[in-house]
Amino acid sequence: MPTPLLLTPIPEDQLLRVLWDDDTLNDYPFAYLRGWCPCAVCQGHGGERHFVKAENPQLVSINMVGNYAVNPIWDDGHETGIYTYVYLRSLGESRDNQHSHDNPERTL
Amino acid sequence: MGEQNTPDIHTRITERLRQIQYPGSQRDIVSLGLVGKVQVQADSVVVHIRASSIKEDVLRHLRGRITQELTTFPEIAHVHIHAFPAQAGQPNQAGTAGNQAVRERADIPGVRRILAVASGKGGVGKSTVAVNLALALASLGHKVGLLDADIYGPSVPLMMGTEATPQAGQDKKIYPVEKYGISLISMGFFLDDQSPVIWRGPIVMSIIRQFLRDVLWSELDYLVVDLPPGTGDIALTLAQEVPLHGGVVVTTPQDVALLDVQRGISMFKQVNVPLLGIIENMSFYECPVCHEKEEVFGHGGAQKTGLKVLGEVPLVEEVRAGADAGKPVVVSAPDHPVAQEFFGIARQVVATEEMQLPQSIH
Repeated sequence: MPTPLLLTPIPEDQLLRVLWDDDTLNDYPFAYLRGWCPCAVCQGHGGERHFVKAENPQLVSINMVGNYAVNPIWDDGHETGIYTYVYLRSLGESRDNQHSHDNPERTL
Repeated sequence: MGEQNTPDIHTRITERLRQIQYPGSQRDIVSLGLVGKVQVQADSVVVHIRASSIKEDVLRHLRGRITQELTTFPEIAHVHIHAFPAQAGQPNQAGTAGNQAVRERADIPGVRRILAVASGKGGVGKSTVAVNLALALASLGHKVGLLDADIYGPSVPLMMGTEATPQAGQDKKIYPVEKYGISLISMGFFLDDQSPVIWRGPIVMSIIRQFLRDVLWSELDYLVVDLPPGTGDIALTLAQEVPLHGGVVVTTPQDVALLDVQRGISMFKQVNVPLLGIIENMSFYECPVCHEKEEVFGHGGAQKTGLKVLGEVPLVEEVRAGADAGKPVVVSAPDHPVAQEFFGIARQVVATEEMQLPQSIH
Protein backbone atom coordinates (compact mmCIF):
# COMPACT_ATOMS: atom_id res chain seq x y z
CA MET A 1 0.00 0.00 0.00
CA PRO A 2 1.37 3.47 -0.85
CA THR A 3 2.08 5.33 2.38
CA PRO A 4 2.68 9.05 2.82
CA LEU A 5 6.03 10.01 4.32
CA LEU A 6 5.16 13.67 4.67
CA LEU A 7 2.01 15.76 4.38
CA THR A 8 2.53 19.52 4.11
CA PRO A 9 -0.33 21.97 3.71
CA ILE A 10 0.95 25.05 1.86
CA PRO A 11 -1.64 27.77 2.47
CA GLU A 12 0.19 30.32 0.28
CA ASP A 13 -0.32 28.04 -2.72
CA GLN A 14 -3.68 26.72 -1.50
CA LEU A 15 -2.60 23.12 -1.73
CA LEU A 16 -1.59 20.03 0.19
CA ARG A 17 1.72 18.51 -0.86
CA VAL A 18 2.22 14.79 -0.21
CA LEU A 19 5.51 12.90 -0.36
CA TRP A 20 4.95 9.15 -0.71
CA ASP A 21 7.26 6.40 0.46
CA ASP A 22 8.24 5.63 -3.17
CA ASP A 23 9.39 9.27 -3.49
CA THR A 24 6.44 10.32 -5.63
CA LEU A 25 5.32 13.88 -4.94
CA ASN A 26 1.70 14.93 -5.42
CA ASP A 27 0.03 18.32 -5.06
CA TYR A 28 -3.62 18.55 -4.10
CA PRO A 29 -5.16 22.01 -4.46
CA PHE A 30 -7.60 22.46 -1.57
CA ALA A 31 -10.58 22.85 -3.93
CA TYR A 32 -9.63 19.65 -5.76
CA LEU A 33 -9.13 17.65 -2.57
CA ARG A 34 -12.37 18.85 -1.05
CA GLY A 35 -14.33 18.37 -4.28
CA TRP A 36 -13.41 14.69 -4.37
CA CYS A 37 -14.34 14.09 -0.73
CA PRO A 38 -15.40 10.44 -0.54
CA CYS A 39 -17.76 10.75 2.43
CA ALA A 40 -21.39 9.76 2.25
CA VAL A 41 -22.50 13.34 2.93
CA CYS A 42 -20.78 14.45 -0.27
CA GLN A 43 -21.29 11.34 -2.37
CA GLY A 44 -24.51 9.82 -1.15
CA HIS A 45 -24.69 6.05 -1.17
CA GLY A 46 -23.82 4.13 -4.28
CA GLY A 47 -23.20 5.35 -7.78
CA GLU A 48 -20.08 6.84 -9.27
CA ARG A 49 -18.01 9.34 -7.35
CA HIS A 50 -18.57 12.90 -8.48
CA PHE A 51 -16.96 16.27 -7.87
CA VAL A 52 -18.74 18.36 -5.23
CA LYS A 53 -17.76 21.98 -5.55
CA ALA A 54 -17.10 23.90 -2.34
CA GLU A 55 -16.61 27.66 -2.14
CA ASN A 56 -12.97 28.49 -1.38
CA PRO A 57 -12.37 25.60 1.03
CA GLN A 58 -9.55 26.10 3.53
CA LEU A 59 -7.76 23.21 5.17
CA VAL A 60 -7.68 23.61 8.94
CA SER A 61 -5.87 20.42 9.88
CA ILE A 62 -5.45 16.79 8.95
CA ASN A 63 -5.98 13.78 11.19
CA MET A 64 -4.18 10.56 10.47
CA VAL A 65 -6.60 7.64 10.61
CA GLY A 66 -5.14 4.35 11.85
CA ASN A 67 -2.51 3.02 9.45
CA TYR A 68 -4.46 3.57 6.28
CA ALA A 69 -6.12 6.95 5.74
CA VAL A 70 -6.16 10.71 6.28
CA ASN A 71 -9.07 12.86 7.44
CA PRO A 72 -8.94 16.54 6.43
CA ILE A 73 -10.75 19.11 8.56
CA TRP A 74 -12.13 22.07 6.58
CA ASP A 75 -12.87 25.59 7.74
CA ASP A 76 -16.61 25.21 7.16
CA GLY A 77 -16.66 22.38 9.68
CA HIS A 78 -16.75 19.55 7.15
CA GLU A 79 -14.78 16.67 8.65
CA THR A 80 -16.35 13.40 7.52
CA GLY A 81 -14.03 12.59 4.64
CA ILE A 82 -11.73 9.63 5.21
CA TYR A 83 -9.33 9.37 2.28
CA THR A 84 -7.59 6.00 2.22
CA TYR A 85 -3.98 6.12 1.09
CA VAL A 86 -5.01 4.17 -2.02
CA TYR A 87 -7.73 6.71 -2.86
CA LEU A 88 -5.51 9.71 -2.13
CA ARG A 89 -2.82 8.28 -4.36
CA SER A 90 -5.31 7.69 -7.18
CA LEU A 91 -6.47 11.31 -6.84
CA GLY A 92 -2.89 12.45 -7.17
CA GLU A 93 -2.28 10.25 -10.20
CA SER A 94 -5.43 11.25 -12.03
CA ARG A 95 -4.51 14.89 -11.50
CA ASP A 96 -1.01 14.23 -12.84
CA ASN A 97 -2.45 12.61 -15.95
CA GLN A 98 -4.44 15.69 -16.79
CA HIS A 99 -2.68 18.26 -18.90
CA SER A 100 -4.75 21.06 -17.50
CA HIS A 101 -4.56 21.21 -13.75
CA ASP A 102 -7.40 23.61 -13.28
CA ASN A 103 -10.27 21.33 -14.18
CA PRO A 104 -10.47 18.59 -11.62
CA GLU A 105 -14.04 17.72 -12.62
CA ARG A 106 -13.35 14.47 -14.34
CA THR A 107 -14.22 10.92 -13.47
CA LEU A 108 -11.60 8.82 -11.81
CA MET B 1 29.32 48.07 -6.66
CA GLY B 2 30.65 44.54 -6.20
CA GLU B 3 27.33 43.22 -4.88
CA GLN B 4 25.77 43.30 -8.35
CA ASN B 5 27.19 39.93 -9.36
CA THR B 6 26.32 38.19 -6.10
CA PRO B 7 22.75 36.89 -5.73
CA ASP B 8 21.03 38.32 -2.70
CA ILE B 9 21.31 36.49 0.58
CA HIS B 10 17.74 35.09 0.42
CA THR B 11 18.40 33.41 -2.90
CA ARG B 12 21.67 32.00 -1.68
CA ILE B 13 20.04 30.68 1.49
CA THR B 14 17.26 29.00 -0.50
CA GLU B 15 19.80 27.49 -2.86
CA ARG B 16 21.69 26.14 0.10
CA LEU B 17 18.55 24.71 1.72
CA ARG B 18 17.92 22.86 -1.55
CA GLN B 19 21.03 20.84 -0.77
CA ILE B 20 19.31 19.30 2.25
CA GLN B 21 17.55 16.04 1.50
CA TYR B 22 14.56 14.81 3.43
CA PRO B 23 15.42 11.56 5.24
CA GLY B 24 14.14 8.54 3.33
CA SER B 25 13.71 10.54 0.14
CA GLN B 26 15.80 11.87 -2.74
CA ARG B 27 13.95 15.15 -2.54
CA ASP B 28 15.05 18.33 -0.81
CA ILE B 29 13.22 20.20 1.91
CA VAL B 30 12.48 23.24 -0.27
CA SER B 31 10.73 21.33 -3.04
CA LEU B 32 8.74 19.40 -0.45
CA GLY B 33 7.29 22.71 0.67
CA LEU B 34 8.67 22.38 4.18
CA VAL B 35 10.48 25.71 4.06
CA GLY B 36 8.19 28.68 4.52
CA LYS B 37 9.35 32.21 5.15
CA VAL B 38 13.05 32.98 5.46
CA GLN B 39 13.81 36.25 7.26
CA VAL B 40 17.22 37.83 7.42
CA GLN B 41 18.02 40.63 9.82
CA ALA B 42 21.57 41.83 10.38
CA ASP B 43 23.57 38.65 11.05
CA SER B 44 20.55 36.50 11.99
CA VAL B 45 18.35 34.31 9.85
CA VAL B 46 14.98 32.86 10.82
CA VAL B 47 13.81 29.82 8.85
CA HIS B 48 10.14 28.93 9.22
CA ILE B 49 9.33 25.25 8.74
CA ARG B 50 5.69 24.77 7.76
CA ALA B 51 3.40 22.74 9.96
CA SER B 52 3.35 19.24 8.52
CA SER B 53 3.27 15.62 9.51
CA ILE B 54 7.01 15.71 10.19
CA LYS B 55 8.11 13.52 13.09
CA GLU B 56 10.04 14.97 16.01
CA ASP B 57 13.21 13.00 15.32
CA VAL B 58 13.25 13.96 11.62
CA LEU B 59 12.71 17.58 12.58
CA ARG B 60 15.58 17.40 15.04
CA HIS B 61 17.81 16.03 12.30
CA LEU B 62 16.77 18.77 9.86
CA ARG B 63 17.31 21.52 12.44
CA GLY B 64 20.88 20.34 12.78
CA ARG B 65 21.39 20.19 9.02
CA ILE B 66 19.90 23.65 8.39
CA THR B 67 22.02 25.24 11.10
CA GLN B 68 25.09 23.48 9.80
CA GLU B 69 24.51 24.66 6.23
CA LEU B 70 23.58 28.27 6.99
CA THR B 71 26.34 29.00 9.47
CA THR B 72 28.81 28.48 6.65
CA PHE B 73 27.75 31.89 5.29
CA PRO B 74 30.20 34.49 6.61
CA GLU B 75 27.42 37.06 7.02
CA ILE B 76 25.24 34.74 9.16
CA ALA B 77 26.05 34.34 12.83
CA HIS B 78 22.74 33.09 14.20
CA VAL B 79 20.26 30.59 12.78
CA HIS B 80 16.79 30.34 14.29
CA ILE B 81 14.35 27.67 13.21
CA HIS B 82 10.63 27.98 13.86
CA ALA B 83 8.84 24.70 13.41
CA PHE B 84 5.72 22.80 14.29
CA PRO B 85 6.03 19.04 14.44
CA ALA B 86 2.94 16.90 13.98
CA GLN B 87 0.81 16.89 17.07
CA ALA B 88 -0.47 13.75 18.62
CA GLY B 89 -4.14 13.89 19.39
CA GLN B 90 -7.38 12.14 18.95
CA PRO B 91 -8.99 12.44 15.55
CA ASN B 92 -11.90 14.77 14.97
CA GLN B 93 -10.73 17.55 17.21
CA ALA B 94 -10.68 20.97 15.70
CA GLY B 95 -7.29 22.12 14.49
CA THR B 96 -5.26 24.70 16.28
CA ALA B 97 -6.16 28.21 15.24
CA GLY B 98 -3.94 29.92 12.72
CA ASN B 99 -1.63 26.96 12.39
CA GLN B 100 -2.43 24.26 9.89
CA ALA B 101 -1.40 21.15 11.66
CA VAL B 102 -1.32 17.50 10.88
CA ARG B 103 -2.50 15.38 13.74
CA GLU B 104 -0.71 12.10 14.09
CA ARG B 105 -2.77 9.20 15.22
CA ALA B 106 -2.23 9.11 18.93
CA ASP B 107 -0.48 6.21 20.51
CA ILE B 108 -1.71 4.99 23.86
CA PRO B 109 0.68 6.43 26.45
CA GLY B 110 3.04 3.77 27.75
CA VAL B 111 1.79 1.03 25.41
CA ARG B 112 4.53 -0.12 23.11
CA ARG B 113 2.88 -2.65 20.80
CA ILE B 114 -0.78 -3.39 20.11
CA LEU B 115 -1.75 -6.83 18.84
CA ALA B 116 -5.26 -7.56 17.61
CA VAL B 117 -6.67 -11.08 17.79
CA ALA B 118 -9.48 -11.48 15.29
CA SER B 119 -11.55 -14.04 13.47
CA GLY B 120 -14.15 -13.74 10.80
CA LYS B 121 -16.35 -16.36 12.39
CA GLY B 122 -17.65 -16.65 15.93
CA GLY B 123 -17.10 -19.67 18.11
CA VAL B 124 -13.63 -20.56 16.90
CA GLY B 125 -12.13 -19.96 20.33
CA LYS B 126 -10.77 -16.52 19.70
CA SER B 127 -11.09 -15.35 23.30
CA THR B 128 -9.55 -18.59 24.57
CA VAL B 129 -6.61 -18.01 22.26
CA ALA B 130 -6.34 -14.32 23.17
CA VAL B 131 -6.33 -15.05 26.91
CA ASN B 132 -3.75 -17.82 26.67
CA LEU B 133 -1.60 -15.86 24.24
CA ALA B 134 -1.62 -12.83 26.55
CA LEU B 135 -0.63 -15.00 29.52
CA ALA B 136 2.04 -16.76 27.47
CA LEU B 137 3.50 -13.39 26.48
CA ALA B 138 3.53 -12.39 30.15
CA SER B 139 5.31 -15.57 31.20
CA LEU B 140 8.01 -14.80 28.63
CA GLY B 141 8.73 -11.79 30.85
CA HIS B 142 6.74 -9.07 29.14
CA LYS B 143 4.33 -6.56 30.61
CA VAL B 144 0.99 -7.42 29.05
CA GLY B 145 -2.51 -5.98 28.94
CA LEU B 146 -5.64 -7.60 27.57
CA LEU B 147 -8.50 -5.52 26.20
CA ASP B 148 -11.70 -7.43 25.68
CA ALA B 149 -13.26 -5.56 22.76
CA ASP B 150 -16.21 -7.91 22.53
CA ILE B 151 -18.68 -5.49 24.07
CA TYR B 152 -21.78 -7.59 23.36
CA GLY B 153 -20.34 -10.90 24.53
CA PRO B 154 -17.49 -10.28 26.93
CA SER B 155 -15.95 -13.56 28.05
CA VAL B 156 -12.57 -12.49 29.39
CA PRO B 157 -13.74 -12.01 33.03
CA LEU B 158 -15.02 -15.59 33.21
CA MET B 159 -11.97 -17.05 31.49
CA MET B 160 -9.61 -15.09 33.72
CA GLY B 161 -11.60 -15.94 36.82
CA THR B 162 -12.20 -12.44 38.09
CA GLU B 163 -15.25 -10.36 38.68
CA ALA B 164 -13.46 -7.44 40.21
CA THR B 165 -14.77 -3.98 39.49
CA PRO B 166 -12.20 -1.64 37.95
CA GLN B 167 -11.34 1.20 40.31
CA ALA B 168 -11.84 4.79 39.29
CA GLY B 169 -8.78 7.00 39.14
CA GLN B 170 -8.48 10.74 38.71
CA ASP B 171 -9.91 12.63 35.73
CA LYS B 172 -12.50 9.96 34.92
CA LYS B 173 -9.77 7.40 34.32
CA ILE B 174 -10.15 3.72 35.14
CA TYR B 175 -7.62 1.32 36.59
CA PRO B 176 -7.54 -2.03 34.81
CA VAL B 177 -8.12 -5.23 36.80
CA GLU B 178 -4.98 -7.24 37.53
CA LYS B 179 -5.02 -11.04 37.33
CA TYR B 180 -2.26 -13.62 36.81
CA GLY B 181 0.18 -10.76 36.27
CA ILE B 182 -1.63 -9.06 33.40
CA SER B 183 -3.89 -6.00 33.21
CA LEU B 184 -7.45 -6.51 32.01
CA ILE B 185 -10.38 -4.45 30.87
CA SER B 186 -13.69 -5.86 29.72
CA MET B 187 -17.28 -4.74 29.41
CA GLY B 188 -18.03 -7.75 31.57
CA PHE B 189 -16.58 -5.92 34.58
CA PHE B 190 -19.35 -3.36 34.34
CA LEU B 191 -22.31 -5.72 33.90
CA ASP B 192 -24.35 -8.19 35.90
CA ASP B 193 -24.07 -11.71 34.65
CA GLN B 194 -27.43 -11.64 32.96
CA SER B 195 -27.76 -8.11 31.72
CA PRO B 196 -27.39 -7.89 27.96
CA VAL B 197 -25.69 -5.04 26.19
CA ILE B 198 -28.31 -3.66 23.82
CA TRP B 199 -26.52 -0.79 22.19
CA ARG B 200 -26.12 0.59 18.75
CA GLY B 201 -22.79 1.15 17.05
CA PRO B 202 -21.96 4.72 18.15
CA ILE B 203 -22.25 3.89 21.86
CA VAL B 204 -20.13 0.79 21.43
CA MET B 205 -17.52 2.82 19.58
CA SER B 206 -17.33 5.31 22.42
CA ILE B 207 -16.79 2.45 24.88
CA ILE B 208 -13.92 1.16 22.75
CA ARG B 209 -12.43 4.67 22.74
CA GLN B 210 -12.72 4.80 26.52
CA PHE B 211 -11.08 1.40 26.88
CA LEU B 212 -8.17 2.69 24.80
CA ARG B 213 -7.87 6.23 26.13
CA ASP B 214 -9.34 6.32 29.62
CA VAL B 215 -7.83 3.16 31.07
CA LEU B 216 -4.63 3.70 33.01
CA TRP B 217 -2.71 0.98 31.23
CA SER B 218 0.62 1.99 32.77
CA GLU B 219 3.68 0.67 30.97
CA LEU B 220 2.91 -2.26 28.71
CA ASP B 221 5.08 -4.10 26.23
CA TYR B 222 2.06 -5.64 24.54
CA LEU B 223 -1.62 -4.80 24.58
CA VAL B 224 -3.56 -7.78 23.25
CA VAL B 225 -6.97 -6.84 21.90
CA ASP B 226 -9.59 -9.58 21.74
CA LEU B 227 -11.85 -8.45 18.89
CA PRO B 228 -15.42 -9.59 18.48
CA PRO B 229 -16.11 -11.86 15.50
CA GLY B 230 -16.76 -10.25 12.17
CA THR B 231 -15.72 -7.03 10.52
CA GLY B 232 -18.05 -4.47 12.04
CA ASP B 233 -17.97 -1.23 13.97
CA ILE B 234 -15.68 -2.36 16.75
CA ALA B 235 -12.94 -3.67 14.49
CA LEU B 236 -13.11 -0.58 12.31
CA THR B 237 -13.09 1.82 15.26
CA LEU B 238 -10.05 0.11 16.65
CA ALA B 239 -8.25 0.27 13.30
CA GLN B 240 -9.03 3.99 13.04
CA GLU B 241 -8.33 5.07 16.60
CA VAL B 242 -4.93 3.58 17.21
CA PRO B 243 -2.04 2.31 15.17
CA LEU B 244 -2.43 -1.46 15.41
CA HIS B 245 1.04 -2.92 15.05
CA GLY B 246 -0.14 -6.33 13.99
CA GLY B 247 -2.98 -8.79 13.88
CA VAL B 248 -3.39 -12.53 14.19
CA VAL B 249 -6.44 -14.42 13.04
CA VAL B 250 -7.91 -17.49 14.67
CA THR B 251 -9.73 -20.16 12.74
CA THR B 252 -10.85 -23.74 12.94
CA PRO B 253 -9.82 -26.02 10.08
CA GLN B 254 -13.19 -26.36 8.36
CA ASP B 255 -14.16 -24.52 5.20
CA VAL B 256 -17.06 -22.63 6.77
CA ALA B 257 -14.68 -20.92 9.16
CA LEU B 258 -12.15 -20.22 6.43
CA LEU B 259 -14.71 -18.44 4.32
CA ASP B 260 -15.28 -15.91 7.11
CA VAL B 261 -11.62 -15.78 8.03
CA GLN B 262 -10.86 -14.58 4.51
CA ARG B 263 -13.06 -11.57 5.19
CA GLY B 264 -11.19 -10.87 8.40
CA ILE B 265 -7.91 -11.09 6.51
CA SER B 266 -9.20 -8.68 3.85
CA MET B 267 -10.25 -6.23 6.54
CA PHE B 268 -6.75 -6.14 8.00
CA LYS B 269 -5.33 -5.60 4.53
CA GLN B 270 -7.72 -2.75 3.78
CA VAL B 271 -6.82 -0.90 6.95
CA ASN B 272 -3.13 -1.61 6.43
CA VAL B 273 -2.55 -3.67 9.57
CA PRO B 274 0.24 -6.24 9.14
CA LEU B 275 -0.96 -9.83 9.52
CA LEU B 276 1.49 -11.79 11.62
CA GLY B 277 -0.14 -15.14 10.99
CA ILE B 278 -2.97 -17.52 11.67
CA ILE B 279 -3.68 -19.79 14.61
CA GLU B 280 -5.62 -22.95 13.98
CA ASN B 281 -7.73 -23.79 17.00
CA MET B 282 -9.50 -27.12 17.65
CA SER B 283 -7.02 -28.40 15.15
CA PHE B 284 -7.40 -32.05 16.14
CA TYR B 285 -8.61 -34.21 19.01
CA GLU B 286 -6.20 -36.59 20.65
CA CYS B 287 -7.82 -39.52 22.40
CA PRO B 288 -6.57 -39.45 25.99
CA VAL B 289 -6.54 -43.26 26.12
CA CYS B 290 -5.12 -44.44 22.81
CA HIS B 291 -3.50 -41.13 21.74
CA GLU B 292 -4.90 -41.42 18.27
CA LYS B 293 -5.41 -38.06 16.60
CA GLU B 294 -8.75 -37.33 15.10
CA GLU B 295 -9.26 -34.26 12.89
CA VAL B 296 -12.79 -33.40 13.83
CA PHE B 297 -12.99 -30.23 11.77
CA GLY B 298 -10.94 -31.42 8.84
CA HIS B 299 -7.33 -30.79 8.08
CA GLY B 300 -5.02 -28.06 6.89
CA GLY B 301 -7.48 -25.18 6.80
CA ALA B 302 -5.11 -22.58 8.11
CA GLN B 303 -2.50 -23.36 5.44
CA LYS B 304 -5.02 -22.61 2.72
CA THR B 305 -5.05 -18.93 3.68
CA GLY B 306 -1.42 -18.56 2.68
CA LEU B 307 -0.66 -16.94 6.02
CA LYS B 308 2.08 -18.12 8.32
CA VAL B 309 0.65 -20.77 10.62
CA LEU B 310 1.73 -19.74 14.11
CA GLY B 311 0.34 -22.79 15.84
CA GLU B 312 -2.16 -25.62 15.84
CA VAL B 313 -4.02 -25.83 19.12
CA PRO B 314 -5.71 -29.19 19.68
CA LEU B 315 -9.17 -29.68 21.07
CA VAL B 316 -8.42 -30.80 24.62
CA GLU B 317 -10.40 -30.94 27.80
CA GLU B 318 -7.84 -28.88 29.73
CA VAL B 319 -8.30 -25.82 27.52
CA ARG B 320 -12.07 -25.86 27.83
CA ALA B 321 -12.02 -26.60 31.57
CA GLY B 322 -9.39 -23.95 32.20
CA ALA B 323 -11.45 -21.30 30.44
CA ASP B 324 -14.63 -22.23 32.28
CA ALA B 325 -12.90 -22.38 35.65
CA GLY B 326 -11.13 -19.06 35.20
CA LYS B 327 -7.71 -20.70 35.15
CA PRO B 328 -6.40 -20.69 31.59
CA VAL B 329 -4.30 -23.70 30.73
CA VAL B 330 -1.15 -21.60 30.34
CA VAL B 331 -1.45 -20.78 34.06
CA SER B 332 -2.99 -23.96 35.42
CA ALA B 333 -0.88 -26.47 33.51
CA PRO B 334 2.06 -24.71 31.89
CA ASP B 335 3.78 -28.03 31.14
CA HIS B 336 0.85 -29.45 29.22
CA PRO B 337 1.59 -29.77 25.48
CA VAL B 338 -1.25 -27.41 24.65
CA ALA B 339 0.20 -24.73 26.94
CA GLN B 340 3.53 -25.31 25.24
CA GLU B 341 1.82 -24.69 21.91
CA PHE B 342 0.69 -21.28 23.21
CA PHE B 343 4.22 -20.47 24.39
CA GLY B 344 5.43 -21.37 20.91
CA ILE B 345 2.89 -19.01 19.37
CA ALA B 346 3.88 -16.24 21.78
CA ARG B 347 7.57 -16.68 20.92
CA GLN B 348 6.82 -16.46 17.20
CA VAL B 349 4.71 -13.36 17.70
CA VAL B 350 7.41 -11.48 19.62
CA ALA B 351 9.96 -12.52 17.01
CA THR B 352 8.12 -10.74 14.20
CA GLU B 353 9.48 -7.47 12.95
CA GLU B 354 6.18 -5.73 13.69
CA MET B 355 6.28 -6.70 17.36
CA GLN B 356 9.85 -5.55 18.04
CA LEU B 357 9.72 -3.28 21.06
CA PRO B 358 10.93 0.26 20.52
CA GLN B 359 13.85 1.26 22.71
CA SER B 360 12.14 4.20 24.35
CA ILE B 361 8.59 5.11 25.18
CA HIS B 362 7.45 8.43 23.80
